[in-house]
Amino acid sequence: MSTTPEPGWYEIRLQGRLDERWAAWFEGMTVEPAPDGVTLLRGQVLDQAALHGILARLRDLGIPLISVQPVRAGDER
Amino acid sequence: MVDPLVETKLAQPRPRREAVPRPRLDALLSRVAGVPVTVVSAPAGFGKTTLLSSWLAAADLPVAWVALDARDRRPGRFWSYVLTALDRAVPGSAAAALTLLGSGQAAVETVLAGVVNELSVSDDDLVLVLDDYHLADGPEIAETMTFLVEHLPPQLHLVISTRADPGLPLSRLRARGALLEVRAADLRFDGHEVAAYLNDLHALGLPADAVAALEERTEGWAAALQLAVLSLRGRTDTAGFIDRFAGDDRFVVDYLVDEVLDRQPADVRRFLLDTSILERLTAPLCDVVLGGAPGEGRSMLDLLDRQNLFLVPLDDHRRWYRYHHLFGEVLRAHLGNERPGDAAELHRRASRWHADDGEVEEAVRHALAAGDTSTAADLVESSIPELRRLRREDVIRRWVDDLPDDVLANRPALAMGLVGGLMASNDFAGVEERIRAVEAMLARPEDELVVVDRAEFRRVPAAIEMYRGALALVAGDPETGVLRARRAIGTAPADDDLTPAAAAGISGLASWTMGDVVAAQASYVAAAAGLARAGHVADVLGCSLAIADMELTLGRLDAAEASLRSALELAEQHPPGGGGVLRGTADMLVALSRVAWHRDDMVEAAELLRRADDLGEGAGLPQNPYRWRVALARVRAAERDWAGALELLDEATRVYVGDYLPPVHPLHATRARLLAASGDLDGALAWAHEHRVAASDALSYLQEYEHVTLARVLLAQHRAGGDEGVLGNVTALLDRLLDAAEAGARTGTVVEVEVLRALALHAAGGVDDALVALGRAVDLAEPQRWRRFLLEPGPGLGELLETLARDRPRSPFLRDLLARRASAASATTPVAAPVPSPAERLIDPLSDRELDVLRLLASDLDGPGIARELVVSLNTVRTHTKHVYTKLGVNSRRAAVSRAHQLGLLSRSAR
Repeated sequence: MSTTPEPGWYEIRLQGRLDERWAAWFEGMTVEPAPDGVTLLRGQVLDQAALHGILARLRDLGIPLISVQPVRAGDER
Repeated sequence: MVDPLVETKLAQPRPRREAVPRPRLDALLSRVAGVPVTVVSAPAGFGKTTLLSSWLAAADLPVAWVALDARDRRPGRFWSYVLTALDRAVPGSAAAALTLLGSGQAAVETVLAGVVNELSVSDDDLVLVLDDYHLADGPEIAETMTFLVEHLPPQLHLVISTRADPGLPLSRLRARGALLEVRAADLRFDGHEVAAYLNDLHALGLPADAVAALEERTEGWAAALQLAVLSLRGRTDTAGFIDRFAGDDRFVVDYLVDEVLDRQPADVRRFLLDTSILERLTAPLCDVVLGGAPGEGRSMLDLLDRQNLFLVPLDDHRRWYRYHHLFGEVLRAHLGNERPGDAAELHRRASRWHADDGEVEEAVRHALAAGDTSTAADLVESSIPELRRLRREDVIRRWVDDLPDDVLANRPALAMGLVGGLMASNDFAGVEERIRAVEAMLARPEDELVVVDRAEFRRVPAAIEMYRGALALVAGDPETGVLRARRAIGTAPADDDLTPAAAAGISGLASWTMGDVVAAQASYVAAAAGLARAGHVADVLGCSLAIADMELTLGRLDAAEASLRSALELAEQHPPGGGGVLRGTADMLVALSRVAWHRDDMVEAAELLRRADDLGEGAGLPQNPYRWRVALARVRAAERDWAGALELLDEATRVYVGDYLPPVHPLHATRARLLAASGDLDGALAWAHEHRVAASDALSYLQEYEHVTLARVLLAQHRAGGDEGVLGNVTALLDRLLDAAEAGARTGTVVEVEVLRALALHAAGGVDDALVALGRAVDLAEPQRWRRFLLEPGPGLGELLETLARDRPRSPFLRDLLARRASAASATTPVAAPVPSPAERLIDPLSDRELDVLRLLASDLDGPGIARELVVSLNTVRTHTKHVYTKLGVNSRRAAVSRAHQLGLLSRSAR
């Protein structure tokens, strides 16, 4: 696991389609629909604490989490 | 209690008015009372709280309920709520622990050990529910909770309700069969329950396929089902709605909240979004946040409550509510998305309401959420003096983390107030940097600074000196401490009582540490006077204890008594707001008992201790339990009940709590004196060896009591047949102690040392010199009727006093002393336990078995340990304990033991 303090890009996959208006709720990450009723949250995360903050918000919404992946900046799917 | 939140946090939620019967979950929960730990772990909206509240309402067990939030991640705050809840559920179980916790002088583990010992003999089984545990969970809480879980008394059943598994050793508990788990899979509504919920409870009359579709789409998630019902209510086209819902793949809660919100009238919808920023809702607050006509808040809350729309009541009076956490999150997301600019203004209004209502913590929180850091800073700055007076520096300390640094850059009074919060929390790191920043601010033109509280601003220069003095003292440099404190006193503005008083306290402590008791006493007197003028009565009591202690050392017994009596009067004139007596009152009585002991008035001494005990746990400072035991041990020793005295000292060691004052009368030395007096010479000599106290040591005031103790031990050794070398050593030691005490004007020590010197000189055959020494002690003691030291047992002293009395035929003091010695000597066997007054005798005496249990209650064994010791079941111990409490008229183990000591029930000689 990377412990570098530099902001990293992450892709978080959720089960269920989430409206794009939730972007502000997740600290400005983009909210994109993906096939099979999956939603992708993508964006830059300041550090591990910020990432855990986003995961805690997902937990508080009760929305099922599928995966969390670090990605390189600008990576296309 | 100061904390306005406590009622809403500790209220056990009422069960829902209507609920679907869920027998399989009832069966699962019926095992809670049979296991130590239950974890109800599931995501938001799975009905955890609902399940627990309805089960507990039916289960008829005492319950301690704590609704946690994110501010409870600090152990001090977390445990103060938990202990308060426990003490309410089983009165007396946590009162002592709360006092100890509040002192900040003991590790949380020590505090918890006390509660465990109380509960482990309690007759009540008790369920402790920690709701929303995930909000408080973190390394600090997990560590102390793990301690509790590992020491859980059999009577206490812990129930943790959480969205994430707690940081506790769950696998170990699982392996031991000590864990009951209720997880999301258990909480999901199955097909029958979904049907019952929709059709029986809400009478929606849905066909089986519609029920099946809703079950599949919601996956039995309670929150989603509840939203589905709200969406279906009053709708004509239910089939169409269910079809659309089932065919949609949006996140189920998002979809349904949209549906529900869309169907609300505009004013309800606006109310829901506007008030979503509130953690807790009450009608007047809602009115202000809405910014409309007063009265809307009340009617809206009633409406939402009636329609079961997202609201959770927090009390029984329908005054305070909160939104269900899950819906609150969704509502806030809607607010942020639909009206992105509005949240700040709503927070601003909430902040103003809380500020007007006097709830500054909430006001600050909302101001920060609104982005109004300068408003937040203003609020903090103007509330600091009052919080300081209430000793709520913990609140100030938290703001250090919350307020951004840049807002402090031109606010010297605020920055200094935060320093005070840090210092009071023993958080010294970084304080010097903060002080330097404040100094730099003071060098700038005043129009560049922001000052809310002029009085606070004017005290800044003095406060800088004062805190630097305190830092020097902490760093082990008392000379600088005194110097800085003096400068603080010199710089403080004329109308500021508090800063010079605090500085005088620091100076007094520094002087005391250096052995300058005269200067220390004067400083403490000045500190107490300033504190009294500033209205800090509780602190005056603490100061008075130190003053009386020093006055005894200085040989001013009458002055010590006067200081304590006037402090006691002050306490009686200032009863605390919530009724009862001021904390510290009991300590005054215990200290007065020590004065009575010095005068050899054991009846008065015991009576004062009884009065102190009757005031209860809340009347004493955290150190009072140990000081009370030491005082009673001295009385017992004077009555030659050595076993009772030793037992009390052992207990005192167990309940010992330190404070900021130098420990000039360590318990171990008091114990050694007792051993020497009782004839246990080996024990007394072992003490000297263990604590490395030797006759050849360099002397310092801080160790004076130990060296005088050593002199007593060596004298006893010589009496028991020791060689002349011992006598030479002790005489040299006493001569040096006398010189040191005289140089420091410690006349109280002079009296004691002169008596011991008289004994040593007499033993060496120097009767004339012995008479000179004793005459001097008598001269100093007589005007104050100070008898204790002159009643030392020992062969020589009686003879010397008689000789002295022949030389001074007109001294009633000497005649009185000789009469007291004669009556003590005529009791050839050790005096039995004191005969209690008729009022103190038990109407219903304890049985032998109850006495056995009582003796073990005085030990540090827990309930199961006592049961093993007596070879009985824990239930038997619990029953006996209950009877003991009833007969002694107390409600806790600690109170039972001190009452028993008063009644002489624990002295071995009483058997």
